[in-house]
Amino acid sequence: MPNAQVTKQNRRKFLSLFPLTVVVGVFTSIAAAGFRFLRPRITQTGSENWTDVASVSELQGNLPVPKQIRTEHYAGWAITSEARKVFVLPAKGNQVLSAICPHEGCEVWWEKDSNQFSCPCHESYFAADGSRLSGPARRGLDQLPSRVQDGKLQVLYEAFENNSAEQIKRA
Amino acid sequence: MSDFKSVSLNGTMSRWLTTTSGVVLMLLFVQFASGLLLSFYYVPSVDHAYTSVAFIEKAASSGSWIRSLHHYGSQWLPLFVFLHLFRLIFCEAYKYRKLHWIAAVILLGLVMAAGATGYSLPWDARAFFSTRVAEGLLGGLPVIGRMARLWLLGGAEISTLTLSRFFALHVLVTPFLILLIVGVRVAKQSGGNVCWETISRNAIAAGVIFLGLALWTLKFHAPLGPSVSDATAEYLPRPGGQFLWLYQTLKYLPGSLGSILGVVIPGLALLVLLTLPWLDVAMLRSLSRHSQQLIATLILGVAAIWIVGMTSASYLSDRRDPRTRQQLAKQAAEEDTFRRTPFRQVALNMSAETSRNPPPGVYATFCASCHGERGEGATQAKLKFPPLIGVTSKPHRTRDDIIGLLNDPESYGLQAPMRSFATKLTEPEKREIADWVVTLK
Repeated sequence: MPNAQVTKQNRRKFLSLFPLTVVVGVFTSIAAAGFRFLRPRITQTGSENWTDVASVSELQGNLPVPKQIRTEHYAGWAITSEARKVFVLPAKGNQVLSAICPHEGCEVWWEKDSNQFSCPCHESYFAADGSRLSGPARRGLDQLPSRVQDGKLQVLYEAFENNSAEQIKRA
Repeated sequence: MSDFKSVSLNGTMSRWLTTTSGVVLMLLFVQFASGLLLSFYYVPSVDHAYTSVAFIEKAASSGSWIRSLHHYGSQWLPLFVFLHLFRLIFCEAYKYRKLHWIAAVILLGLVMAAGATGYSLPWDARAFFSTRVAEGLLGGLPVIGRMARLWLLGGAEISTLTLSRFFALHVLVTPFLILLIVGVRVAKQSGGNVCWETISRNAIAAGVIFLGLALWTLKFHAPLGPSVSDATAEYLPRPGGQFLWLYQTLKYLPGSLGSILGVVIPGLALLVLLTLPWLDVAMLRSLSRHSQQLIATLILGVAAIWIVGMTSASYLSDRRDPRTRQQLAKQAAEEDTFRRTPFRQVALNMSAETSRNPPPGVYATFCASCHGERGEGATQAKLKFPPLIGVTSKPHRTRDDIIGLLNDPESYGLQAPMRSFATKLTEPEKREIADWVVTLK
């Protein structure tokens, strides 16, 4: 191969590196910033965010008592407030259960007739104490931390991972 | 990346002048990429647009840089498309590469339109006033002015619909048209011979300009003025660099003459440039052998002189007047302070307000099913449950009245379905409900 042709080919190879470098440079710098920009933000809203559920005096009987609480959620630029359903078990020392089904996250109902909780989505069933009876859920209903303050039952609302046999707090 | 056979540009300097297409392509990529990223957080509603932009600017990692890239990129892009058009004139592209020429002219119009629609999106005071100006310019057009204004605003007044329209035009319509034009142009280009030297030179130029833009945006942040509601009467709105010429021009023109010079004449100029490949007619040839080149050079030359002149006049005018200079410096300082203060989230809806003043549990149990979670009232079939918000402004609705009403609703003129809670609630529980209801304003 004549020298002139080899030189021309080398020159072409060398020149082709410039566009590649620029494309990679521009793309990488924006992609790196984009990754940081879009990285999910996990905001700690304070671990001591106790919410009133009800007066202890009104919690009586053997059946689960449905209650609704509101929780604040910090999401980027906004604070949203969400209604959360919980069940209080007066018969078990006012234990508070989350109404979120640990299978796929639907809200369970209390079925008076059959004396059990049922999930309307995929037919998981739980006993009156929240333990798992049948269906695709791998664990019972999640118990939430609770306390009594000034005669009121308070709960620390938490969310847990779905579809796990163990209760794993959601990050 | 054109390598025109018919008209070659020789010499090192001339070869570097052919790199504008590479720079334009790079800037378009930057605009698309940064715009795409911004759209992940931006909310096109007058209630939340400003907050979401402030979040991008102050809280999101790299948000300020990405926004600045998008902001200044939108100012550099028309400049390089303009230079690209100039270099196409000297290559006589309107004769030999008609598609290249037409694509470049349309691209210039589209990037200006993208800049104009994007300028309103942060919905700060500056954006709001620029929307007002855009509205006025369109409204002043002869014959179609009123309709054009209504269609742009989505109604008779600037509203959240206007912002939605600007957003749709900015992120869907213009980018789609730009992609279409660039796609056709690049597809046509890839059909020809690829000259690695030209591509390399374009890439080097694009790399240098990107580096310049990246450094510039690290030093200078995209502006974000006060929100519309926070702007004082003294606030002086100034448009972005690419529209300063128009801003300054409008100072000299009375009434709807501004619409003629701001919209009609630029539109006509683009139309003439667009039809330039077919303007090689005998009449013009008799005047000059290079009549098309003359027309294009004249239009772009006058535009360049006008833009540079008016932009400089605008800068000088702001600098000369001490009061204006002082106010602009004050605004810049306030923007700087705002940027440095930590971002504060806003409550999104009524429910969030409720979370600040939550109803007592006993209200949620006994009252919320009829009067609403925060006393907003409700309707169930034919039954109407009155709102409790602002109930204390009515006669006989003090805190003690509310307790009395809970014990004996009939004595307060209330009938079923309101029932007595005399035995259902303890006295402290009634007080708790009454205490909360009187706070509802």
